Amino acid sequence: MEDKIVVKGLNLCFDTHHVLKSIDLNIRANEILSIIGPANSGKTSFLRTLNRLNDIISTVKITGEILLDGIDIYKKDILLPWLRRKVGMVFALPVPLPRSIFENIVYGPRLNGVTSKAKLEELVEKTLKAAFLWDEVKDRLHLSGTKLSGGQQQRLCIARALALEPEVILLDEPCSGLDPLSTSRIEEALYELKKQYTIVLVTNNTKQAARVGDNVAFFLMGEMIEYGSTEQIFTVPHDKRTEDYITGRFG
Amino acid sequence: MYRLISVMLILMVGMGCARNNVETINIAGSTAFQPFAEKLAEEFMAVHPDVRVNVQGGGSAVGIQSAQSGVVQIGMADIVTLPKEAEGLNSIVAAKDAIVIIVHPTNKVDNLSLQQIQDIFSGRLNNWAELGGEKGEKGEKGENKSITVVSREEGSGTRDSFHDMLLKGVQLSPHALIQNSTGAVRLMVQSDPSAIGYITHGVVTPDVKAIAIDGIAPSPENIHAGKYNVVRPIFLLTKGELKGKAGEFIDFILSPQGQKIIADNGLLPVK
Amino acid sequence: MKYRENLIQIGLLLTALSTIAILFLIALFILHEGLPIILKVGIKGFICGSHWSPQQGHFGIFPMIIGTVWITIGALLVSLPLSLSCAIYLSEFSTTKVRAVLKPVIELLAGIPSVVYGFIGMVVLFPMVRNYFGGTGPCILSAAIILGIMILPTITSIAIDSLQAVPYSFREGSLSLGATRWQTIRMVILPAAKSGILSGIILGVGRAVGETMAVIMIAGNSVIIPGSFLDPVRTLTANIALEMNYATGDHRQALFATGIVLFIAIIILNIIANTIARRGVEK
Repeated sequence: MEDKIVVKGLNLCFDTHHVLKSIDLNIRANEILSIIGPANSGKTSFLRTLNRLNDIISTVKITGEILLDGIDIYKKDILLPWLRRKVGMVFALPVPLPRSIFENIVYGPRLNGVTSKAKLEELVEKTLKAAFLWDEVKDRLHLSGTKLSGGQQQRLCIARALALEPEVILLDEPCSGLDPLSTSRIEEALYELKKQYTIVLVTNNTKQAARVGDNVAFFLMGEMIEYGSTEQIFTVPHDKRTEDYITGRFG
Repeated sequence: MYRLISVMLILMVGMGCARNNVETINIAGSTAFQPFAEKLAEEFMAVHPDVRVNVQGGGSAVGIQSAQSGVVQIGMADIVTLPKEAEGLNSIVAAKDAIVIIVHPTNKVDNLSLQQIQDIFSGRLNNWAELGGEKGEKGEKGENKSITVVSREEGSGTRDSFHDMLLKGVQLSPHALIQNSTGAVRLMVQSDPSAIGYITHGVVTPDVKAIAIDGIAPSPENIHAGKYNVVRPIFLLTKGELKGKAGEFIDFILSPQGQKIIADNGLLPVK
Repeated sequence: MKYRENLIQIGLLLTALSTIAILFLIALFILHEGLPIILKVGIKGFICGSHWSPQQGHFGIFPMIIGTVWITIGALLVSLPLSLSCAIYLSEFSTTKVRAVLKPVIELLAGIPSVVYGFIGMVVLFPMVRNYFGGTGPCILSAAIILGIMILPTITSIAIDSLQAVPYSFREGSLSLGATRWQTIRMVILPAAKSGILSGIILGVGRAVGETMAVIMIAGNSVIIPGSFLDPVRTLTANIALEMNYATGDHRQALFATGIVLFIAIIILNIIANTIARRGVEK
């Protein structure tokens, strides 16, 4: 199993605020990596370095390398739209665009040049099925995306990310506002998706990480403290801080 | 809370008291006479520090109406004959003023006949070339530009006098540009080489050229001698005879001192 | 204690009511002064009549309505490209620091007295228009340029606020789907800010319609129906200002009636602006 993403010596600062300190991490292809840690550890900032979404903040400074299939994504000639199509993202709060369900999903592909109506409809069906949302909305595709329930909106966002046929999917606490039923549907979807994609999941919920991930990385105050298989981290963590966090001594 | 109220009350009373020590004279109307009224007011206030003279413009019609309604003690009107709206007002002639026709300094026209003036302002004649030869402004290709006629708004005494004495019943062209003060007319003419307008003689500056009518130039000599006769009186209008400081101000204007100020600044004294 | 609270509440209510009362009184006043002449001449005769010569009893304000309309359209043509580009740049492309400096500077433009604008128009703009376009200087074009600059800060400021009000998550969502910044602006942010921007534009239009001083100085004030944008025109506001000082009787009523027309126009514009703004919020 090769490494899909290799992170070497990543440092991230917003002005003088040093958010990520020398992160080294390898993410293997077709697996789910869960990133856990308390609030303000830099988990979300780290996730956003993988698709360079931090770039829109003007005060950001990044050093180090992130290799996607061997290519450093911070090289000067990397086209951001190309990168973000390869590395899709689902945010913590579902953000459907103020358009119909159909339009939400085809937004990305249309920008990428897909214009044939047949292909677009096929894409919509395929991705909604993969996100386990198809049955609920198949006859309401022209309803506005904002009129769905929270769990449905989030699955719509997953479908939307899938529509670009990415290779990596980043999820930032995707179930944080959702009820247990919606959460389990999304976790079900992630199981299926990892067969085709590489998934990086940031979660505040250690139990979710235990359920879903293949490997786990523990972040604390901008440093990556420990990385290992889910089983190892949750049964015999090497670092005391990891153990304290997992057992709930701080949160 | 009570402290605030009492402070405010004291301030208001104080302001009221302060007012009583200064007498105010209000005078409004003709924009042609306004700069001279301001000069006279300055001199008067220098000698009478307990008096404030407020001078406003607005045009002769405003002067008449304000005097009638009592808004001002003195209304100024520069007009050939007082209209019926001025009925019942006491009128005193303070000065005489010539109306001159002005063009841009680069305009080669020096003289216009009465007929030509009527034709130009009515729009019958609308290109400088029609006045013959190399007159007026040229465009980029050397073509002669059309005449820009500048006039005053209805209600201006200067306009009424101009219509009375020169246009004599001929209608002003609807394409004429309208400006609402003597100063604005002058500004328009001095910035447009193909413009023509009329202003009071007292405010002519080197930025514009005053032209002769029927061969008679509006020089001070010609005006004094009566040869250039496009002249109308400046009336000071009051409700009845004014007493007190306002009356003194009128006396000052009519005095040799006041008349000298008027003459020095380009207007015609009454005597 | 409770007594004092009630007193303050009543005091505030009275102050608020008095503001509304002032508006009503103004409306009643101009209606009272101006309605008789409209009834005498007939609404059609007043608004569609193209002959305005009060001394002869003709009170048609059509030329002035056309003048106001053309100058306003011209002002929009001048200011819309400038203000929208400026707003998009300041909202989407500049840093917060740059925006914090430039936005107040633009709003400063709104503080310049209109008479100064008129003066600059006369001294600077007239020669340029004469040389490059022809005509005499005072005309629809000159007025449109100056008015366009006058309403620019209004439209820009509201447009910036509307664009900034679009949730940041929209931008992130669009970018993470592979859109470029300009695609995001064009396809997500502008549509989302549309209603706010539109109501800003209508506010600008209202300002242009009501502008008096600058227009008197640079539009020419001839009572004609213009044939080209190099013709001078008179607006409704200029008509009132030029002649109000001395008008009496029917003439005076006609000027108040012009005021009624302006009042109604502004009310309609404001209703449209509010409806658009409200519909935007509901979505």
